[in-house]
Amino acid sequence: MAYADDLFRDAQHLAKRGGKHPKQSSLQRAVSTAYYAAFHLLVADFVANWRIPEQRARLGRMFEHRRMSGAVFETGDKHNPTPIEVEIKSLIAKFTQLQKDRYEADYNVAKIWFHTDVVRALDLADEVFKIWRRVRKEKLAQHHLMSMFGARQN
Amino acid sequence: MLMPVAVTQQERIRAEVREVEAALRPDVVRIRYSMGEDWSGQWAIFFRVVLSDDAAKNRLRQVANNVVQRLGEHLDFDALGVFPYHNFRSESEQAASREEAWA
Repeated sequence: MAYADDLFRDAQHLAKRGGKHPKQSSLQRAVSTAYYAAFHLLVADFVANWRIPEQRARLGRMFEHRRMSGAVFETGDKHNPTPIEVEIKSLIAKFTQLQKDRYEADYNVAKIWFHTDVVRALDLADEVFKIWRRVRKEKLAQHHLMSMFGARQN
Repeated sequence: MLMPVAVTQQERIRAEVREVEAALRPDVVRIRYSMGEDWSGQWAIFFRVVLSDDAAKNRLRQVANNVVQRLGEHLDFDALGVFPYHNFRSESEQAASREEAWA
């Protein structure tokens, strides 16, 4: 997952660029890169399960941003979710927020970005990394990762 | 696309948001929101949260996560048929931008 970690460090670097007077382009890039760090974290884990290493990059390109956020996650008991379900729901919410912010950063050039936007995006990405590293070995997490890739549950 | 249940629950949503806003003062200055489709075409509620400069500068993660959690406790977004998005800005940043949607 070195690439995802590198991207996260790039996002942190971009967030600091320009000191107190950062360029809008640096702030936009920081938000977008924070999302891509989280995106590649998940993609890397998914493709790592593929037996043929030289095909993994190709497999990773099959991920669709839209499909990833649209993957449905339902808890067994809505009113009493298990700790792992709570973690996965939280991860999905943070990832989806990052995805929306990245979309704006990449395509809405009229939007003015502030320091708070960028710090929040970095916080969210950091939390996605931490949650995913806690839950990634869980069956439920791996099942949801497959759903993000587009595989139906039933 | 079908309208979400949230559209018919505007008054209740407004009241719950005001309650969260009041409970989290002075870190939270105000919470504004709107509903619409997100970038992927799904119905969503977009919260715009203005924070005190102190909260935004020194305790953003903690305060922001608290806002997200409290709103989630007050409003069942799954039942309302909307996905919640939360964006934050400090008072100073809002003063500089003067964006009406956040005022």
